[in-house]
Amino acid sequence: MFKFQKEQEIVKIAGVKIGGQPGELPTVLAGTIFYNKHEIVEDAAIGLFDRAAAEKLVNLQEIGSEETGNPHIVHIFGTTRKSIARYIDFVTEISEAPFLIDSPEGDVRAYAAEYVSEIGLADKAIYNSINMSINHSEMDALTLSDIDSSIILGFNATDSSLPGRMELLENGAGLLDEGLLSIADRCGIVNKLIDPSITPMGHGAGVALRMTITAKAKWGHPTGSGIHNAPSAWSWLNQKKEKDPVLYKICDVGSTCLQQAAAGDFVLYGPIENAPYVFPMAAMSDIMISEAVADLDIEPASRHPINLLV
Amino acid sequence: MKTIADTWPVVKGDYKVGNPKSRIAVVTLASSINSLPEAALWGSSKTENLGVEKIIANVISNSNIRYVLVCGTESRGHLAGHSLLAIHANGIDEKGRIIGSKGAIPFIENVPKEAVRRFQQQVVLIDRIGLVDSKEILKLVNKYKDKGEVYQDEPLVVCSPKKRRTAFAVPSSGDIIISEEFVMDSMAGVVCQAESLNSAIELN
Repeated sequence: MFKFQKEQEIVKIAGVKIGGQPGELPTVLAGTIFYNKHEIVEDAAIGLFDRAAAEKLVNLQEIGSEETGNPHIVHIFGTTRKSIARYIDFVTEISEAPFLIDSPEGDVRAYAAEYVSEIGLADKAIYNSINMSINHSEMDALTLSDIDSSIILGFNATDSSLPGRMELLENGAGLLDEGLLSIADRCGIVNKLIDPSITPMGHGAGVALRMTITAKAKWGHPTGSGIHNAPSAWSWLNQKKEKDPVLYKICDVGSTCLQQAAAGDFVLYGPIENAPYVFPMAAMSDIMISEAVADLDIEPASRHPINLLV
Repeated sequence: MKTIADTWPVVKGDYKVGNPKSRIAVVTLASSINSLPEAALWGSSKTENLGVEKIIANVISNSNIRYVLVCGTESRGHLAGHSLLAIHANGIDEKGRIIGSKGAIPFIENVPKEAVRRFQQQVVLIDRIGLVDSKEILKLVNKYKDKGEVYQDEPLVVCSPKKRRTAFAVPSSGDIIISEEFVMDSMAGVVCQAESLNSAIELN
């Protein structure tokens, strides 16, 4: 393991600290709820879901977080304005944790930004994400909102190499008039969380690990990813899933450690049901990383797994 | 004339291979619909960039395929089906953007314009986005599986499944400290002795 020469920023969102040198803060873990085909969702268009089951899942994540010391974020996924508003209402009613607002549709994300501002919860929200698809109306909505935390996604659809992804953030890589970091500044984003973007394996999933290190070395912003998307998009593994679901889960959950070993500060670990496995695994990695940098003058936080579990 | 590339399908993905001599391939978008062996290829496609690339690469590397049935539920935001129709109708611009696509990030990285032109010429797209009825899909597959002739040209292989770039950068900074003796240049991805790096910088 290693230490960055560049000072590493630590942001604080709804009481959760993210960032720092490897081994300094516990990895922040975000489980997704209401995702596509989530069995607790009855009608994704209007946001009908099994409330008791949903509460149980959020509690599962909170229990994991409490036990290991790894802070948590609830990753809310919605596909319509109506559903995302209902999901936000529910999650913020039962949990104090920060939450990610995520949708594949720009106008739904923009609406969610407006909605959390209206209800006074923008300081708990993290926008997911500012990416190369952003247009003027989404930028305007984000600027007008009170949101000041966002994931900045390094997905470059025309050049998935390390320089291609870095340039997208820095100068727009010839695809945008300016870099995504500069766009984030203009939209009032103070807490920038860099996500190098997990493309499928065979299309540069591993580049994201390298970019985690490079982005932290260059900018010092907290960096992490939804690395489980690499195994979950792996056709070979999916073919094995039916026969051996444990094998699939091991790869899915285990990918968390790779992002941590590459200096990741946060991991979007996918289905929230996996919390009982992800939190201990992430805690284990955090402990080892912290031990590995102990002689580099890096002090682990008081609620770091190394101070709670060993 | 050779009609199928040696290593067809040339890129891996979430699909099943049926009869490689069939004239039809089936794209089920975000739906999972049981495959029929009468189709050459049968699989899902959820993205407006990599998904579209894979379909093009696997279709133009088999000259037997003359029809692509686009069915199943569209993926929200990504609009993979709409983007496939758009690239077939309009092609890509100089930046690789699919002209006319309303998908979130409709850019093509690994498929050149030449391949897009070939895709446009080789196949007819059957737009049945939203269709999930297996019986109706079977009817369409049976209607087109033997229809027409093999495409006039040999298969075109444009995507290698594993693209490797070879680049070596000489480390010029030690922005990551590994130990007293070793540092790493994060951009170059090289771990080196701190002392040698210092000497190199002094020489420059």
